[in-house]
Amino acid sequence: MFRFYSTLALTGICALTIGCGRTEIATQTRPSSLGVDSSFLASSEPTESTPVKAARQELENGQEATLVGIIGGSKEPFVDGLAAFTIVDPSIPYCAGDDDCPTPWDYCCTQDQVRDGIATVKMVDDAGAPVAVDARELLGVKELSEVLVSGTAVRDDEGNLTLVANKVFVKKP
Amino acid sequence: MLLPWEYGVRNLFRRPIRSLLTLAALATVIMLVFLMVGFIRGLEQSLVISGDPDVVLVYSVNSEESLENSAIAARTPELLTSSLSGIVQRFGVTHISPEMYLAARVRTQDGHSGFGLVRGVKQTAPLVRRSVRLLEGQWPGPGEVMAGQLASTKLGTPVESLDIGRTIEMEGQAWRVSGTFAAGGSGYESELWCNLGDLQTAAKRQDLSLVAALLEPGASVAEIQLFCKQRNDLELRAIRETDYYASLQQYYRPVRMLAWVVVTLVAAAGVFAGMNMMYGAVSGRIRELAMLQAIGYRRRAILTSLVQEGVILAAAASLLAGAIALVFINGLAVRFTMGAFVLRVDGVAILIGCAVGLTIGVLGALPPALKALRQPVATALKAV
Repeated sequence: MFRFYSTLALTGICALTIGCGRTEIATQTRPSSLGVDSSFLASSEPTESTPVKAARQELENGQEATLVGIIGGSKEPFVDGLAAFTIVDPSIPYCAGDDDCPTPWDYCCTQDQVRDGIATVKMVDDAGAPVAVDARELLGVKELSEVLVSGTAVRDDEGNLTLVANKVFVKKP
Repeated sequence: MLLPWEYGVRNLFRRPIRSLLTLAALATVIMLVFLMVGFIRGLEQSLVISGDPDVVLVYSVNSEESLENSAIAARTPELLTSSLSGIVQRFGVTHISPEMYLAARVRTQDGHSGFGLVRGVKQTAPLVRRSVRLLEGQWPGPGEVMAGQLASTKLGTPVESLDIGRTIEMEGQAWRVSGTFAAGGSGYESELWCNLGDLQTAAKRQDLSLVAALLEPGASVAEIQLFCKQRNDLELRAIRETDYYASLQQYYRPVRMLAWVVVTLVAAAGVFAGMNMMYGAVSGRIRELAMLQAIGYRRRAILTSLVQEGVILAAAASLLAGAIALVFINGLAVRFTMGAFVLRVDGVAILIGCAVGLTIGVLGALPPALKALRQPVATALKAV
């Protein structure tokens, strides 16, 4: 009978141990610098740059420019599977840490200002084709990273601004 | 040496009323497990089936995952068609479906009323919503609606109230039911479909709720997402339909978790009921068990026989509950916030229900059997 109890107890302990164990994989996080391509990263900060809001007023279609902005503007500022994202004028405030906002990069408190201070950045290769790698991996950036992006402006009749870019400088926080 | 198999079986027939009552109690518990697991499986299946991996939904970025709250510009389909290359085009027709989707109070001809889900579509909708099949009647003409086969469940009205030729009232207008459709168990089955233009007129709206586009094989949703980012003025977002329904699954996660908690509680109640029954059964057989020990059977053999009795009863209850569940619960339509779905007693549900049943049999029999066998043989033989 003792052996029976021992077997039962051992089985129970085994089941508990297996059931409560946490896998290593589940707690690991992906390194942010995975796959960063330095050919798209500028080694030094450009001396001249235009904030997004001013660029939306001044830039014309086809004009070369360097924009400065903060990655954000919506809950998902990055395009999955493409090196493209939106940037917002640095003068527009986003929810600060003490506002208890889980996604401050969506500018939920200042959406009315974002409309006139947002631009889309599309990274292209030497042939002018969009880069089919997520910008987070390609450039090592994340939401609310401040970036200076150099490229060519594409405007449409509705006032939207897209920068077809090939160099990005990521400011240190 | 184990006790003969027949010994345990015959013991169940020695007290037929007690065995029958226990069987009924266990079958009820297992039926409840089937019901809850059927609910969870039905909800999950409905959300999984509703998503087509080749379809992309374009809707308002401000709608917070709710298509009913979405409002986008009416020119969006034309802009998408002219700007993007990855959308299927065949015989000059682009596989793109502009839709208006809203919840509306619907009153049937026989006076019943309830909130229904209404989708205004164009004739390109079946090219994109490929699971939709017309069961009876015809595609809705002007002033007509086509009812999904679960639409009456969603409305909480009799099935006959949406028969072809009947009239319903919604958005202040009368609509004739022109047909019935199925959609392979997806969420569309709880909807009413009508012409987009008619619904826009009735709802006094000119915008759309969403645009669904069928992607060419190998085409990426990223191109459409980039278009949405570039056209900031339109305030659009694009998401693969399967991802949209996966996010809904996350939204309904607390409901599913609650259902699993109920399954666990019901199973625990079953274990206690089984235990209670076995305590009663075993306490009246203490002398018999002691006698079995006295003539040479080991405690483990007697314990096995008692567990065997519990398991036989639980297995019979599982089979009975499984049969009833397959006949009466499987396919039962249930109204839910997102529409309606049918309870699914599928392989997984049967497996879980039977596993719970057999566990109740084993766990319910073990403690009373151990307690009875713990007494010294001499004392137990004198027990009254």
